[in-house]
Amino acid sequence: MSQQKIAAPKAASETQLIARAQSGDEEAFAALFEMHKRRVYSLCLRMTGNTAEAEDLTQEAFLQLFRKISTFRGESAFSTWLHRLAVNVVLMHLRKKVPQQISLDETDSSQDEPVKRDYGDNDRRLLGSIDRISLSRAIDELPPGYRAVFVLHDIEGYEHNEIAEIMKCSVGNSKSQLHKARLKLRDRLRQNEGLMAPPEPVVSDQPATER
Amino acid sequence: MPDQCEPTTKKLGVAPYGHGLIVYFLVLSGTLLAVDNKRIEKSFEACPNPRVTLTNMTGQVLVRGWDKAQVHLVYSVVSPHVEVDAEVAPLNQPADRIHLSTHLLDPLVSGKDQAADYNLDIPMGSNLEIWNPQGSVRIEKLQGDDTSVESVGGTIVVSDFTGHLFLRSVGGDIEVIRPSGHVEAYSITGSLHFLFPATSKLRGTTTSGGILFEGDFADGGDYSLSSYSGDMNILCPASASFELNAKTVRGKLENEMPMTIRHQSATPLSSANSFFGTHLTGKATVNLRSFSGTIRIRQR
Amino acid sequence: MKEIRQERTPACYQFALELEAYMEGEKEPFVPAHAHECAFCRVILEDLEALRSAARALPLEEPSPAVWSNIRAQLVAAGAFGERVGFWNWFGQLDFLPRPVPVAAFACLLLLGCLVTVPRTYLEHQATPELSALPASTPTRSMAFAGDSGTLERAVRELEETFRAREGSLSPDLKATYEKSLNSLDASIRECNDSLEREPDNSLAHEYLFAAYSQKAQVLSSALELDEGR
Repeated sequence: MSQQKIAAPKAASETQLIARAQSGDEEAFAALFEMHKRRVYSLCLRMTGNTAEAEDLTQEAFLQLFRKISTFRGESAFSTWLHRLAVNVVLMHLRKKVPQQISLDETDSSQDEPVKRDYGDNDRRLLGSIDRISLSRAIDELPPGYRAVFVLHDIEGYEHNEIAEIMKCSVGNSKSQLHKARLKLRDRLRQNEGLMAPPEPVVSDQPATER
Repeated sequence: MPDQCEPTTKKLGVAPYGHGLIVYFLVLSGTLLAVDNKRIEKSFEACPNPRVTLTNMTGQVLVRGWDKAQVHLVYSVVSPHVEVDAEVAPLNQPADRIHLSTHLLDPLVSGKDQAADYNLDIPMGSNLEIWNPQGSVRIEKLQGDDTSVESVGGTIVVSDFTGHLFLRSVGGDIEVIRPSGHVEAYSITGSLHFLFPATSKLRGTTTSGGILFEGDFADGGDYSLSSYSGDMNILCPASASFELNAKTVRGKLENEMPMTIRHQSATPLSSANSFFGTHLTGKATVNLRSFSGTIRIRQR
Repeated sequence: MKEIRQERTPACYQFALELEAYMEGEKEPFVPAHAHECAFCRVILEDLEALRSAARALPLEEPSPAVWSNIRAQLVAAGAFGERVGFWNWFGQLDFLPRPVPVAAFACLLLLGCLVTVPRTYLEHQATPELSALPASTPTRSMAFAGDSGTLERAVRELEETFRAREGSLSPDLKATYEKSLNSLDASIRECNDSLEREPDNSLAHEYLFAAYSQKAQVLSSALELDEGR
């Protein structure tokens, strides 16, 4: 009950801020920026891996927010609506930069590598090795297509049907790319932490892991 | 919800994609449906809200929104030395970017011989960008997030549009009929007509052209109209609820709507006329400015 | 834990095939069962689960204060925040910034804006020798100039001179449209100047004068871009 009482004033005040921002109220818009800047910036940073680009894109997202806030109808939560706007800004930027790399074509296997096998130290898990900095660095090193899906799903919490809609791909493709992204991240983290031996030829000539 | 094929709303340069981004299709792109003398018809599979850009020199451009996931193009040219190129991305998937451009095979082709007329049917959710300096543009029934049209001497007519609309013509007239969302229209010598808008935000600026606004004001809407020497006529229903801020330096202010006057001045010390008043409950905000044109507010 | 295998078995391949679906929350009982038996596959599964948890726990990052400063500056310059930046509303209404504008045009507009918004102490009439020698197409009287105000006039004039030098390459229709627009803008500039001579504090006239110069720069830029083969 008390939680509801705490939550309700915040929701009401954001509604008021939105209404005031729609009328061009600077203070209200600044308040909305303060409320949402970290989430938007974090998204931009994780998707681009570059602080300067992330700041530019954050600016662009909020400028677009100001232009489009009059079209916000309250059909979804404002944070959801803003977040989707920011995702679109980032994806447009990435597509302009290196468009082919944002392709999630099912047939695109250029980013594929065989799953590496650990030989020997089977009980050396990543559990103790996934600190924020290592993980952030590893995410930055992902190819853009993998990075986009991983960030949207595992960090930002989008569902695959939403990612498919955003990135113009199938749900199956989104799931497949996410799985590959995770495997690639795992490989990278293990390499960075010295947990993985140099690649060795697979003893068995079984086919590589592919769906 | 923001759309999915969302353009960069701020950068409206028409130079589209640069090298390496688009596979360059010529006549054989998409599905070539018909070749009829100088009239060519093509079709492309598209995603529900692609970005469509068109660069032309002169000629008529007509764009209509439809409910198919397809871009259907019919174009005709006068001169055999004028060609239309279509650039589509991505490959092997429904396109989310389509760029159409007219180019001259012979630089000596001039005047009306440069003309290419376009007839486009595009998904209703498309974002559209058109540059047609000497030709007219007509757009019907689009619901994309962003559409921009720029011309130098051509007229621009947009009807039944929803979203953010940006229109600019240096010397051409601009007419916007039944829009929703956010509309901006700018001309220097052309006139601006806004008919039956349902917009939340509307901006119109012209220097010597006239401005006509006919319709109601949406609750919470923000309307700003400015002319330099052109006359401004506002025709609204008796039920329109708005707050009026009208100013002119040398022009006249004529108001026929019953209003609660907040401020009115036409002092000998200043040639400026101003009028601030509220009609009914003042739910919309209407800002009218002119330098020497007459501002008239009348009931429909 | 069973014996350490040195190579994949068919069960490991089946594990690999079903792992994706299992991570998506689908019922794949073989996956945990095999992981219980196979140390290698167990490590993979635990790594991926740890990765997913770590990703969810990544903290939000804070942008630098410059981000808001830049956003605010752009919105203020566009006249986005109410009447107190009303002067800038006219600049913003033109909205020419979305189109590429030559640096000279943009610089002159910024400078023009700065000069015209300064207090009345700067409202002096200055006619520099260079300005008075120029053709009457761009009137020079009564602009709110101070100091090296000639720079601003020169910037606008340079655009116009460049346009005049190249206008022959435009088609007759385009040229006529541009001429008509420029004449209209020049007329508005003259009238604004006349008004300001009589009423130096007339803010609306200032706004219109600024808008006219802005529009003129924009029209000239548009013509030059067209000539450059946009």
